Amino acid sequence: MLPALPLGWRLDRPPDVLSVSYPKGGRDFPRGRISEIVGARSSGRTSLLHALLAASTGRGEFAALVDTGDAFDPCSAAATGVELSRLVWVRCGGRVEPAMRAADLLLQAGGFGVVALDLAEAAPRQLQRIPATAWFRFRRAVETTPTILAVVADRPLAKSCATLAVKLPPRRAVFTGRAPFLLLRDAV
Amino acid sequence: MFACIHSAEAAALASSFSPWVESAGPNTAVFSLTPRQLAERHWERITSNCPASAPPVQVAVASTVEAAILAAHNLAGCTFIAPDEEMRVLGPLSIDCLAGVSLWGSLPSCAPVGGALWARRSGRVNNPPQAASLPHIELFGILDRWGIHTLADLARLPEADLAARLGERGVELHRLARGALDRPLRPEIPAATYEESAEFDHPIELREPLLFVIARFLHDLIARMRAQSLAAQAVHLALDQQKRTLGLPFPTLDLKLLTKLIEHSLERQPPEAPVERVYVALQPTRPRRVQHGLFTPAAPEPERLELTLGKIRALVGEGNVGYPELFDTHRPGAGKPIACQGALLPALAFRYFRPPLEARVELEAGVPKHLTTKMFRGRVVQIAGPWRSSGDWWRPDFWSRDEWDLRIDGGALYRLYRDRAAQQWFVEGVYD
Repeated sequence: MLPALPLGWRLDRPPDVLSVSYPKGGRDFPRGRISEIVGARSSGRTSLLHALLAASTGRGEFAALVDTGDAFDPCSAAATGVELSRLVWVRCGGRVEPAMRAADLLLQAGGFGVVALDLAEAAPRQLQRIPATAWFRFRRAVETTPTILAVVADRPLAKSCATLAVKLPPRRAVFTGRAPFLLLRDAV
Repeated sequence: MFACIHSAEAAALASSFSPWVESAGPNTAVFSLTPRQLAERHWERITSNCPASAPPVQVAVASTVEAAILAAHNLAGCTFIAPDEEMRVLGPLSIDCLAGVSLWGSLPSCAPVGGALWARRSGRVNNPPQAASLPHIELFGILDRWGIHTLADLARLPEADLAARLGERGVELHRLARGALDRPLRPEIPAATYEESAEFDHPIELREPLLFVIARFLHDLIARMRAQSLAAQAVHLALDQQKRTLGLPFPTLDLKLLTKLIEHSLERQPPEAPVERVYVALQPTRPRRVQHGLFTPAAPEPERLELTLGKIRALVGEGNVGYPELFDTHRPGAGKPIACQGALLPALAFRYFRPPLEARVELEAGVPKHLTTKMFRGRVVQIAGPWRSSGDWWRPDFWSRDEWDLRIDGGALYRLYRDRAAQQWFVEGVYD
């Protein structure tokens, strides 16, 4: 006989995940949740974002990138494996408020595998003006969908609204060859 | 019942009877008769009203299109063929009449073998018709050897045996000779234009009343398109002298979607003055047919996505929404990743500073040792380079530069370059 469940108990199905292969080990990004990728410059946050977009578009899904600072490099994204024809790219010219509204519109439209909100390098003053309710709104918008909302930033922004927070430590550059004939190859 | 007119003025005469006219040749027109036209024998007026000096007009009415064409081509005056009497009327005709008429448009024409045979049989040695107008010419040679000279002779042959010997083409010829080859009329539908316009006594200043008028036009145009099984590929809108075109990524007949798209367009680019004249036109195309797969990943609904992108364009600007595209060039930041250089590319993503950051660089023996920008500064700890590249020297925006990959003491990896033309240093972006 099954034990009685306490009042208010809810059976939550574990969320589906999108597995992303990454040089520092694979990552599973839960669908229908907010995931944060946090790190300083050259920590690998953009590499991880590209890997996530490549995993999504490689499965035949459509993805959207809200590029707050016009920093996206299609060339390195294509080299990572991102199918550019399946990627909607929104350039916001360094303005955070239109970026947040664009992300909201894309989440409400639905049908995307990944909606990436790139807030890295955004001005701290603009980031401080993001109301906490925006993240709750995003969480409600994605929780019944298979969409992953990936937020890339210098520091945690979504806080408790994010199910997964990937904090990337600073990396050490790997140059090959002998001085003065060095070649930048990777960062570990 | 179908009527066929064979005359120099066939198209004009036929169009006076029906708007749906099929052209079966340069001087032949076929149309369908209404019950009233049939009961009152309207077609007889064509020959009776024809002046004596005018070229002769041959008219035939039959229950099938092909029988009417055959009779109009070969029988003078006005001919009425009642149903099941095709053989009685058409039977005495020579089998050559089948070759001279451009019938069987749906069937492939044969190779021009037997042209001399046809010329011998038809007696047109000096003026043989073009090979394209001689379908089944080899069949005529076979029928000639069989002693088949009239349509009645051909019609008397057993269809099954004819099929066994001559195949599908022989059966078609047999049915044609019997007047039993039936097909629907293929009228030439004139290209319709889907446009509406209006001029107002008082100019419209507000957006909502203007949208109300445009939505009413769209409603009528969409109804007309739906009746013709067409869909809109683009919307052309003219407000006074200000013209704009909204290209749709997919054909649609969704009134709400089209109205919303026009509303977003008017929000982004409002009319410069109160509007006195409105012109709306829809560009027709075939409707969209999509086959969904059971295991296909979910994708955004096209209508909803287009509306969403329209709203985002209003937020961030027209040219800032789309999908990235790589050009076939070596220009930094725009070209395709070159496969042969794949092994040389760093296994790091790159982030651009757009526009590139101006930098002040301290050199030591020609190598950067200290870097200062408005965003960061630091001592160069590791550096690789320079990599010299240039291109597009024949264009005003040619590029020529020396690149370095460097790490400063803060730990970040940057791409620094010196513009050789401007003799200026820039930080292009950061490896991340």
